[in-house]
Amino acid sequence: MLERFMGARRVRQIQRAIRHSTVTFLCLFLTVVVLRGTIGAGKFGTPEQDLNEIRDHLYSRGRRVEPHRVLEEAQPDSEADQSNNYATFDISKILVDDEPEEKPDPNKPYSLGPKISDWDQQRAEWLKNNPDFPNFIRPNKPRVLLVTGSSPKPCENPVGDHYLLKSIKNKIDYCRLHGIEIFYNMALLDAEMAGFWAKLPLIRKLLLSHPEIEFLWWMDSDAMFTDMAFEVPWERYKDHNFVMHGWNEMVYDDKNWIGLNTGSFLLRNCQWSLDILDVWAPMGPKGKIRDEAGKILTRELKDRPVFEADDQSAMVYLLATQRDKWGEKVYLESAYYLHGYWGILVDRYEEMIENYHPGLGDHRWPLVTHFVGCKPCGKFGDYPVERCLRQMDRAFNFGDNQILQIYGFTHKSLASKRVKRVRNETSNPLEVKDELGLLHPAFKAVKVSTASST
Amino acid sequence: MGREDLTSISPKRRSAEALPTANTNTSNSEGCTLFDMSRGCRIKKTFSTLLTFTILCGSITILVLRGTIGIGNPSFTHSYSLGPKISNWDAERKNWLDENPEFPNHMNGKARALLVTGSPPGPCDTQIGDHYLLKFIKNKIDYCRIHGIDIVYNMALLDEELSGYWAKLPLIRRLMLSHPEVEWIWWMDSDALFTDMMFEIPLPKYDKYNLVLHGFPDLFNQKSWIALNTGSFLLRNCQWSLHLLDVWAAMGPKGAIRDWAGKVLTANLKGRPAFEADDQSALIYLLSSEKDEWMDKVYLENSYYLHGYWAALVNRYERIMEKYHPGLGDERWPFVTHFVGCKPCGSYADYAVEKCLRSMERAFNFADNQVLKFYGFEHRGLSSRSIKRIRNETTTPLEFVDQFDVKRSVLGRSGGSKSPP
Repeated sequence: MLERFMGARRVRQIQRAIRHSTVTFLCLFLTVVVLRGTIGAGKFGTPEQDLNEIRDHLYSRGRRVEPHRVLEEAQPDSEADQSNNYATFDISKILVDDEPEEKPDPNKPYSLGPKISDWDQQRAEWLKNNPDFPNFIRPNKPRVLLVTGSSPKPCENPVGDHYLLKSIKNKIDYCRLHGIEIFYNMALLDAEMAGFWAKLPLIRKLLLSHPEIEFLWWMDSDAMFTDMAFEVPWERYKDHNFVMHGWNEMVYDDKNWIGLNTGSFLLRNCQWSLDILDVWAPMGPKGKIRDEAGKILTRELKDRPVFEADDQSAMVYLLATQRDKWGEKVYLESAYYLHGYWGILVDRYEEMIENYHPGLGDHRWPLVTHFVGCKPCGKFGDYPVERCLRQMDRAFNFGDNQILQIYGFTHKSLASKRVKRVRNETSNPLEVKDELGLLHPAFKAVKVSTASST
Repeated sequence: MGREDLTSISPKRRSAEALPTANTNTSNSEGCTLFDMSRGCRIKKTFSTLLTFTILCGSITILVLRGTIGIGNPSFTHSYSLGPKISNWDAERKNWLDENPEFPNHMNGKARALLVTGSPPGPCDTQIGDHYLLKFIKNKIDYCRIHGIDIVYNMALLDEELSGYWAKLPLIRRLMLSHPEVEWIWWMDSDALFTDMMFEIPLPKYDKYNLVLHGFPDLFNQKSWIALNTGSFLLRNCQWSLHLLDVWAAMGPKGAIRDWAGKVLTANLKGRPAFEADDQSALIYLLSSEKDEWMDKVYLENSYYLHGYWAALVNRYERIMEKYHPGLGDERWPFVTHFVGCKPCGSYADYAVEKCLRSMERAFNFADNQVLKFYGFEHRGLSSRSIKRIRNETTTPLEFVDQFDVKRSVLGRSGGSKSPP
C-alpha cells in the first residue's frame, strides 16, 4: 500500500533504512546489557541484584522481619540541621554553655580539700591490705601514673586538636614501653583553679584516689617524648618527693622565674606532697587573688613579665622563700631533660641522629622536648605559628621513628608523614632484634614468680 | 529526496550503507543478488544478516569487557602477600614464650590483649574531626587503664597499596609477629567508644576460637553485608590468623583490584551498595564462600555489644542510667557504641552531621561519667562538657576507693596477680 504513495524504490530505501537502524539498536541494546552486567548502572543495579530482588520479593512474605537491623528512632526534629557536610557545620550549635557554678564565698580562704594529716599511715594500711596492687612493680621500679590533659572544648586554633592527638599518641607509645599508666584529663574539677592551675586539684584527687601510685608524673600537653629508650633513674630520687627540671642556683639564688619548669615533674604520693600542694594553691584562685599574686611574683622574681600568677612562678617563689621547709625533699634535676626547651633542641635533631643514640635523655638525645610558648591549641602563641607547627612535626617524627624502627619502618624524613621500610619482612620474625632493644625491654618485663611453673 | 537511480549511487556510499561483510557483494556464491526478493534468497539474506549482527555484537562485547575489567581478572585463589609466608608460627611462638617467661601471654590471670586503633597521619578534613579523635582515644585510654590493656595508636601507613580501611591488615600482622607475648589483637575503629567501663570481655569463652566479631549467624547465612562488623574484633595471635590475613588481603590492593573486587562483593552480598571493596564485606564474602575452612574458628558474638550501632543506642542513655548499671555490656548497658557512617574525620557523613556530633558528645559523656564517678564527679548533663561534684571531699578518701574503684573490682574478679598458668 505504501508503494502507491511513495514508489517502490522509496519503499525499498525505507526498508533498508529500517533494517540498518535495527542493526544499530540491536548493538546498542547488547552493549547496554553487557555493560550493566559488568560494571552496573548505578541505581539501576546489576543483573545479580535483579535476581536478588526478585528472590526477595518472592520470599519476603515468608521471611521473618530482621530483628537486628535496628533502625534509628524517628526524630521529627525539623529544626535540626540535616546537612551531612562537616565543613559547613557550625560547631557552636552543640557546644552547650552551662550556667556558672555558685560563686565561692570570697571570705573563705581557698582550699583544695579538707586537711588530711595522716595520709602516709592511711596509705600504708591500704597497701598492706591490698597486696595485689603494690606501689612497686619491681625493685627500683615504682608504679607511675602519667597525667596530662586538655580542654573539653575544641581548640581555638583549627590544627590544635590534631597536635594534641599526636602528642597523646606520643605519650601512649612511651608509656607502653615503660609500663606507665596514663590519665588524660578533660574535666575542670574546680572552676576557680582554671588554666595552668587546674592541675593542682586534679593531682591531689588522683593521689588520694590511687594509693597504689608511687609517683605521679604531670606532663603538659605541649611536651613530647623524644627519647623512647630513656628510663627515669628512679633510685636517684629515693629520698626526694618532688622532681622538676631546673637549677638550684637559678631558683634559690637568682629567683629566676624559669629556674625550674612545672611542665613535666614527678610528685611522690605522700603526706609531704599533699602539704606542698596546699601551700602552692593559694596564689591560684582566679580573679583578684591571682592578679594580685601575679604582681607580687613579677616584683619578686627575676625577669618575670607582667601577667597573672602562674603555677611555675608560684613554685619558684615558694621554694626560694621557704627553702628550709621544702628544699630538702625537692630535687632540681638538670642531668637529663625531664623538660627540654624546644628552642635549643629542634634544629639539632639531624645532628643527634648522626652522632648519638636514644637512651641518653640529655642534650645529646633529649628525653622530653617541650614546646613552651607555642600554645598550638590557642589563638596566639609567643612564637611564629609556622615555626612551632613545623618543629612539632619534626619532634613528633623524631620520637616516632624510635617506635617505628621496632617494626622495621621509619619516616621518610623528619618532615614527612610517610613512612618507608628499613628492614625487610622475614619468615623468621622472632630472630629479629630491633636496634634499640625496645621490642621487649627490661623495663617492661614482669617479675617472674619463683613459684610459677610453666 | 527525489528519485535516485541506483546505478548513480557512488561505490563509497554503497559500501557505507551496506553491511561490512562479504555478503554485500552484488552476487554471492549461491546466486542471490542484493536485489533478489525471492523467498529462498530472502531467508538466506536474513540468515547472513543475523550472522553478521552476531559477530559484530560479539566483538563489541569482548572489546567492552576488556575495557572494563581488564585482561586477566585477579583470582581469589591467590592471596596478596603481606609478607614472606610463615608456616610454623604456633611452634615458634610457643618456643619464644617458653624462653621468655618475663613476657608471658597471660597477665593478672587473663590472656594478654593489645588494643590496636589509629587514624590517618594528617589532620582531618575539619577541626571537629581531630577533636573527636582526641576524645575517643581518651575514652579508650580510660577503659584500657582500668582493664590493664596496652594500646597501640597507629598513624603510619605501612603499605601504600592497602590504604584506608585495609591499612589495619598489615598493621595487625606486623604487631602479631613482633609481639608473641600478645595472645589477642583487639582491633577497634577510631569512631568506636567504650560505653561500659566495667564490662570485661569473657575471653575464656573463646578458648576454641581464633576470631571473634559482633555478628549474627542468620544474617551471615543470608550473606548480608552487615552480617558482622570489623570495627571491633578480636584476632588470636596464631598461624590460622596469619593465613586468614593473607587471604583476606587479596581484595585490598587499591586501584583495579579493589574496584573490581567491590563489584564482586556488591553482586554477591545482600544489601551492599556499589563502592570499592572494603574489609568488612571482603571478610563476609571470604568466610561464607569458604565456610568449611574458616567458620569452626570464628565466633559471631551477639550476647553483648562488642560493636554497637550508635543510632539505636544514643537516645536511650538516660533510660539506661535510670534502670541499669555498668557491667552488663549488652542492650541494657552497651559495651561499645560505634559511630559507623559518621566519619567525623572526613568531610561528609552518611547521616546528618548535627545528629552525629550531638550523639558522639552524649556517648562520650555517658562513658566519662563512669570514670568520673570514681573521683566524685559527673557531667552536668549528657550534652555538657562541664562537671559537677557528686561527692564531697573527705579526710578518709580510701573508704571510697574501696567502694568505687572499678579497676580493683575488675582485676580482683579475674584473679589478681596469680602466677601465670
